[in-house]
Amino acid sequence: MISLGLRTLLVKEIRRFMRVPGQTLAAPLVTTTLYFVVFGYSLGSRLREVEGVPYARFIVPGLVALGVVTNAYLNTASSLFVMKLQGTVVDLLVSPLSHGEVLAGFLGAGVVRGLLVGAIMWAVAGVFGGFELAHPLLAVALLALAAIAFSALGFVTAVWARTFEQVNFFPTFFITPLTFLGGVFYSTSMLPPALRWLTSLNPVFYMVDALRYGMLGISDASPAAGAGMLLLLAAGSVGVAHALLRSGYRLRG
Amino acid sequence: MTPVVRIRGLEKRYGALSALGGVDLDISPGEIFALLGPNGAGKTTLISIVAGLVRATAGTVSVLGKDVVRDYRETRRAIGLVPQEINFDPFFTVEETLRIQAGYFGVRLSEARLVELLDALDLAAKRKVNSRALSGGMKRRLLIGKALVHEPRVLFLDEPTAGVDVELRRSLWSYVRGLRDRGTTVVLTTHYLEEAEELADRIGVIDRGRLLVLERTEELLRRHGAKTLRLALARPVSEPPASLAVLGATVEDGGGAISVEVSAGGSFGEVLAAASAAGLVVRDVETRRTTLEDVFVRLLAADHARGEGR
Repeated sequence: MISLGLRTLLVKEIRRFMRVPGQTLAAPLVTTTLYFVVFGYSLGSRLREVEGVPYARFIVPGLVALGVVTNAYLNTASSLFVMKLQGTVVDLLVSPLSHGEVLAGFLGAGVVRGLLVGAIMWAVAGVFGGFELAHPLLAVALLALAAIAFSALGFVTAVWARTFEQVNFFPTFFITPLTFLGGVFYSTSMLPPALRWLTSLNPVFYMVDALRYGMLGISDASPAAGAGMLLLLAAGSVGVAHALLRSGYRLRG
Repeated sequence: MTPVVRIRGLEKRYGALSALGGVDLDISPGEIFALLGPNGAGKTTLISIVAGLVRATAGTVSVLGKDVVRDYRETRRAIGLVPQEINFDPFFTVEETLRIQAGYFGVRLSEARLVELLDALDLAAKRKVNSRALSGGMKRRLLIGKALVHEPRVLFLDEPTAGVDVELRRSLWSYVRGLRDRGTTVVLTTHYLEEAEELADRIGVIDRGRLLVLERTEELLRRHGAKTLRLALARPVSEPPASLAVLGATVEDGGGAISVEVSAGGSFGEVLAAASAAGLVVRDVETRRTTLEDVFVRLLAADHARGEGR
């Protein structure tokens, strides 16, 4: 049974991002379309197929994953950080909401935004390369897990950050590079052994790979490895976020 | 009477700095209690610990008999806090802001209660207006509305009228009195002494993290205060008549006036009788009562002198 307090926070956080749809939903739509036009068409005309799948379809899981995790992260990070800056975080801190409820409210909204953006991106991708999904339930479950993990990372960053620069540090220097180097645009079988080994150290590679199995039915590594990695990342980041809330670190004096 | 808020041995240290150095305090139900002190005295730290915004280094705080750390969900339901800094969420209207805050406390805000709050805070016309578009005074009233939305038993007001114009200050005071009359306990911090004198049933003076004085307002003024009678004379004198000199009279304005100070609870009857018997021709009479500000300045000066002597 969801308490009225948690429901209020969740709905408020969802309404917050829905009030600026140009920034939160339309912007990823434009970016995705550009990715598909530029990469899908230009590279797709040269590569044609990767692992038996048309290139325009091959890049879909990675791009959807990038959209989901970036938006899940940004929603939580920016909302909580702005609340800290504006002082409205006090409204939550003096309320009787439990630590778990506060966390669930923020993460829930982050997951909703992440999955909404993911759905929009998948719909755009479908126009270019078709709508069929190999394992739809697995794909949705993996994306939800990724959204929880990165939303919690956004929460942790917002608690820790003192400047906007610090909030943007993680997506700029970790999420985007690790995703781009995690096999979004290529199969690791196309890489020389040294780079393939490096890629095997990138946790995002397993996420993209497992999602590619869920959406297209193909993968370089074991999909179970990706699911396991996501599960660990989600459990770890949610655990750290909850511990920070409980300790009052940078929230309560 | 069981206190609404009970504070024992409360300490807060930030590294080497001691913000609160062992405060004991009871707040009684239905009173308006004012915590007075200069900037940095520890007022905000103290109420922030009670409200759960700051964690104490040592000591205990209970609200309605429940510990504010262990039983935080229960104590926070009993507390409303109006923070010192104005905050607002630019995504939401006045009505949405109040409904959201009520929701956090597990309260579904009824239309009747919403209208009552908006009317009381003179925000009815702004119900559908984005909180970003409110004036400073309106934003502060919205903060009070947020703190009251769940009908708390104790309301904490941290510098509620800082930067507020005189008219609004008076209307806030009258609203706070009304809350007290309806049974809400009110704790306010202020460095406007007029505010404490006007509103508070009891006053605590805090300086450098220690509670210096804790008394009923009138008692504080009576014990530490004094009143002065000044007689402007039609015919100047070079020195006070002996009968007035023994009462402590001094000559002012080059002999044009005589001034006598008596304790706050004393009477001017004897002074007036002696002046009349001495044949002084009085042109005008002025009396002046010691304000809380005078008392406060004396107390702090004495505390600082003690601190330097240590």
